[in-house]
Amino acid sequence: MKYSIFRALVACTALVSSVESVSAADYGSFPGVTIDAKLIGGQQYEGLYGRIADWEAATGGKVNIISKKSHFEIDKEIKSDMAAGTTSWCVGSNHSSFAPQYEGLYVDLNELVPADEIAEFVPGNIKASTVNGELLMLPRAQFDVSVLYYLKSNYEDEEKAKAFEAEYGYPLAVPETWDQVKDQAIFFADPPNFYGTQYAGKDEAIVGRFYELLVAEGGQYLADDLRPAFNSDAGQRALQWFVDLYEAQAVPAGTTSYVWDDLGQGFASGTVALNLDWPGWAGFFNDPESSKAAGNVGVAVQPMGSVTRTGWSGHHGFSVTSDCENKEAAASLVRFLTSEESQLAESAGGSLPTRSAVWEANLAAANSGDDAFRAEALAAFAEGAKYAFAVPPIAEWVESTNIVFPELQAAIVGDKSVEDALNDAAAEVDEMMQDAGHY
Amino acid sequence: MRRRLPEWFLLLLPAIIIIAAVVLIPLIFSLYSSFTPYKLTRPSTLWKWIGFRNYERILEDWKFWAAFGRTVLVLTIALNLEMLLGLGIALLVNKVTWGQRTLRTILMFPMMFSPILVGFQFKFIFNDNVGLVNNVLQSTGLSDAALPWLVDGKLALFSILFAEIWMSTSVFAILILAGLFAMPRDPLEAAKVDGCTPWQSFRHITLPFLMPFIFIAMTIRSLDVARAYDIVQIMTGGGPARRTELIWTLMARTGYVDAKMGLANAMGYVSILLSIAFTVYFFKKLSAARAQLGMTG
Amino acid sequence: MDRNKTHRNRRRLLKVLHFLGLFLVMAVICIPGLWIVLNSFRPTVEIMAKPPVWNPSFTLDHYRAMFGGAGEGGVPVFSYLWNSIVVSVVSTFVAILIGMSGGYAFARYRFKGKSGYFVGLMLFRAVPGVALSLPLFIVFARLGIIDTHFGLILAYVAMNVPFTIWLTDGFFRQIPKELHEAAEIDGCTRWQAFWRVEFPVARSGIASAAIFAFLTSWNEFALASQLTRSVGSKTMPVGLLDFTAEFTINWGGMCALAVLMILPALILTFIVQKHLIAGLTFGGVKG
Repeated sequence: MKYSIFRALVACTALVSSVESVSAADYGSFPGVTIDAKLIGGQQYEGLYGRIADWEAATGGKVNIISKKSHFEIDKEIKSDMAAGTTSWCVGSNHSSFAPQYEGLYVDLNELVPADEIAEFVPGNIKASTVNGELLMLPRAQFDVSVLYYLKSNYEDEEKAKAFEAEYGYPLAVPETWDQVKDQAIFFADPPNFYGTQYAGKDEAIVGRFYELLVAEGGQYLADDLRPAFNSDAGQRALQWFVDLYEAQAVPAGTTSYVWDDLGQGFASGTVALNLDWPGWAGFFNDPESSKAAGNVGVAVQPMGSVTRTGWSGHHGFSVTSDCENKEAAASLVRFLTSEESQLAESAGGSLPTRSAVWEANLAAANSGDDAFRAEALAAFAEGAKYAFAVPPIAEWVESTNIVFPELQAAIVGDKSVEDALNDAAAEVDEMMQDAGHY
Repeated sequence: MRRRLPEWFLLLLPAIIIIAAVVLIPLIFSLYSSFTPYKLTRPSTLWKWIGFRNYERILEDWKFWAAFGRTVLVLTIALNLEMLLGLGIALLVNKVTWGQRTLRTILMFPMMFSPILVGFQFKFIFNDNVGLVNNVLQSTGLSDAALPWLVDGKLALFSILFAEIWMSTSVFAILILAGLFAMPRDPLEAAKVDGCTPWQSFRHITLPFLMPFIFIAMTIRSLDVARAYDIVQIMTGGGPARRTELIWTLMARTGYVDAKMGLANAMGYVSILLSIAFTVYFFKKLSAARAQLGMTG
Repeated sequence: MDRNKTHRNRRRLLKVLHFLGLFLVMAVICIPGLWIVLNSFRPTVEIMAKPPVWNPSFTLDHYRAMFGGAGEGGVPVFSYLWNSIVVSVVSTFVAILIGMSGGYAFARYRFKGKSGYFVGLMLFRAVPGVALSLPLFIVFARLGIIDTHFGLILAYVAMNVPFTIWLTDGFFRQIPKELHEAAEIDGCTRWQAFWRVEFPVARSGIASAAIFAFLTSWNEFALASQLTRSVGSKTMPVGLLDFTAEFTINWGGMCALAVLMILPALILTFIVQKHLIAGLTFGGVKG
């Protein structure tokens, strides 16, 4: 992933900066102001920070990065800050799944950012950044929704197609529904050399995947009164899907210990037929330097459940703290980092934008470009993004996933029945929600 | 005239001050917070006193006790195996006459590895799909299945123990080796003359002499058993389905991810008591072994 | 004659077994570590290959990327290395000074509640880092020493002092009091007597305490991840996490940084390991 992204990123950044330059009028003037920022670290995210120098040049302000850590580490750090009261830094990286937890830490950006600028973002992303009517973060071009990656060669083999149709009674094609994914995964699997599919097996990751299927089956994670509702029939059907695949050994036996890096590496090793995965991997999967599947990767919109298509989604963004001394300057920096130019530059690396205009520009560029894979992937993600939904905007979401995931695992590895596992999890989540005072 | 502080106290004072500042004060704070519903993200909850509610919750929670029992089990197995392996390795190395300095350095190789690195390392080595262990097993035809090292209940505990033992056996080996070096030759030669078998002279002469060294190693190790947290957190995170949950992983998740620090600190206190119990136990053993050898100074 | 032969055969067999055993042990110790070194020189596609590639190819890409700019795979290696060195060296040095003075007090003075003080100090070392990290953070945050070398050094000194006291105590006890008294008769002050007589004898014990303290600080993660934040204070174990992102982990890059982290520790240990064995022999046991 690195190599292709970097090349593209460097090329595109050069392009953007030569065409447009940041004008001081857009972002105000803050000579002598220093903004302390806590930013998420990691290859995928840091390309954007190279642009901070442009903001400094345009506004006369200075950015002091006081912390740069990975996703979960920065979450831990921010919570520690809230505990210690050391929250006078100004700009922080944020994530839609984490945002509701930081009660009172960040200001409502509706007051600092012009409404017409907010309207330029994808409405769904703005909605997912809003908690109790407060816009807590401005989304950057790191929007995540999953689509189906598959190995094309499996669909080009006539003998396989015949054998499949004989066994399952319908022609072999890239799956449209989760049931078809299950059939095909079991059909393609040849453990331990080749697997039909795989899924994230722990932490928030598996709960998100379960949530996705649950909604696709017509269920709800929390009912409208916020009581847990995932132990419904739809919930059982959703969980059964995971259990069946595991029992049939169509997924790697270690799948319950996998999170995203294991899954990505697994598909890149060319030994997994179907893989629901994130946009950040597209370049990696099709790069011969990092992936054995390169050249053989197809990308399709995520399959649907018995009711609908769904995409559990999240996005990164930037927030301004309530204790910040110079909120205007901080908001200016946030606006800059999420601006159209910034998003164009960042999404050139393969991540998905959160501004409507950037989506269109990227799609147009991909269609007219000579990279057919990029066009295919981007089209699939554009389609997939239509079904995207965020997690419930309550502070207890992450905590609830910590209750639910061991129970899901218990059902998958056969320690509990599907029904028991879901009921046990629901009872505990219910207790937690009561403790939190939701009802 | 003002009485001057005794000299021994002045000499100890820096140690006492720094430990009080860095360990004692935070401990008092966390003890207090374990009696509150303290949530990291809601600092005001720190001022609400709820008595023993957190402790009651823990005592009633079978998940906590399962993690507690598993922690004791893992520690017991790990420390004993490390001791036995360390003893064996020390005996092997002690017999070597050539290149011992290099061997000793190799022996200490795992001590250079940060626990967090050990976690990542074995997470990849035991990966069921592309991990080193399964690759070797499959390539040599010993097994054609992808063994789920980090998933299967028993295998996962084995993998964690392996990583832990790999990292920490060195301490035992080095200390026991030091003991072997310090051992007087005469009793062994005398035993040989008297016709003792090698096993007899090991059992009745070498081993008793080594015992204090073994208990020192045990004590050193018991001081930082919680290092295993870094390894387990990275390798399995306590999963799947809580099969490898240890008291520390449970505590860290409760405290940082769920932000329930009050509850986590209550768990912390139980884990501190556990560490102390291990340490005191080995200190007693150490004193006893020293006394037996007449080494009390 | 015949009996001699079987005897010789048996000895030969034992020798072979001994060699095999040693070889096996060393292999188990080395392979996981060397695997990291190897992976730092292999392209990512090969590390994760399935079926596995057994003939490794060689590339310096991970190192090149690591020293490159931010966003191109670069991490501030030199800052991390510098932070690690400053924090480990200073905290080891201070811990040895404080520990030595404490150890001397235990070895040379009689006072009430001595063993109580001793066990008490040890027990503080037993407090798990995970349990300590947040309260410590809050205290340090109030003092404003978060994200500084000073804060981390303070924490590590406290971690290492008890063990140092223990080892040096054993050492000073080994040294006959007469030596010291003789020096004082010759006109040395107590302090001079300490430096000229006791310190040189205890040197190897101090060296072994120092190497343990150094390795503990060098490798510590739980506290460092909580007390450090920016490039200005993050140590190498914390820096390892720079290679993880929300969805990805750059294993080859992480291995490259790990190699840089292991090397200094390895060299240092090789240099002082003679003292280490000697130090442990006297210090711990006879105390």
